[in-house]
Amino acid sequence: MPDIFSIVGSALNAQDSRMGVIAANLANVDSVTPAGGTPYRAHEVVFEAGQVADGEVSGTDLAAGDGDAGDTGVTVAGTVLSNAPPKQTYDPTSPFANAQGYVTGSNVNQADQMVDLIDSSNSYSASVAVLQQATRVDQQLISSIQVA
Amino acid sequence: MQIQFLNLYNGVMNVREERSALIANNIANADTPGFKAQDVSFGAALATQLASPDAPVGPQYRASATVALDGNDVSLDGERIEAAQNAEQLSASATFLHQSTSDLITALRPNPSGT
Repeated sequence: MPDIFSIVGSALNAQDSRMGVIAANLANVDSVTPAGGTPYRAHEVVFEAGQVADGEVSGTDLAAGDGDAGDTGVTVAGTVLSNAPPKQTYDPTSPFANAQGYVTGSNVNQADQMVDLIDSSNSYSASVAVLQQATRVDQQLISSIQVA
Repeated sequence: MQIQFLNLYNGVMNVREERSALIANNIANADTPGFKAQDVSFGAALATQLASPDAPVGPQYRASATVALDGNDVSLDGERIEAAQNAEQLSASATFLHQSTSDLITALRPNPSGT
């Protein structure tokens, strides 16, 4: 069983990369592509419950004989691209317009991304709360070992 | 172990530690598609621990959880409450253990009144 700190660490890493992807999407919300180019598509990270790699202590502690090699922590399994249709705006004067006068933008939905950002931020603060709680309990455990 | 309360607190704190790791894992996987929250029943796990301290504590899925469209059934607020409760109870048992140990040491002293 890996310790609570590596679990929380994996969660913070995962949420951090999710927020990074959301930031990239929001930055590209108004990107346009020239006619015939590939428009920017919104990325979305996919999480996966995974084994936390506890580097320096591998094999020496409970991990070998514990029996429950269950999934612990979270890892980023990869990113998927949104299949939403790209935004088409009618602007014949633009140098990026196609033959019909439409400019192809990205398929990022700004509201969706903001909701995703709030969700991610909530999960992040929950993990931070767990970290603070674990630290507090650990300190108390250490101080209760001292017997007068 | 001959000293009974050490045995008991060993079991209690083992189960509490296990629970805290499981709850942290649930919170970490709050956005993982298809993940099901896990927890151990404290009473059953403690009974197993006291009977054989080396036996692993078997995690169970939550029975009455609401499953989201992506197959995830973690309730972030529910898990935070469980985490807070578990942490409080872990510190409480640490306090009790501390108290019992100091009582024992006081009893072992040749002259409890000091000097």
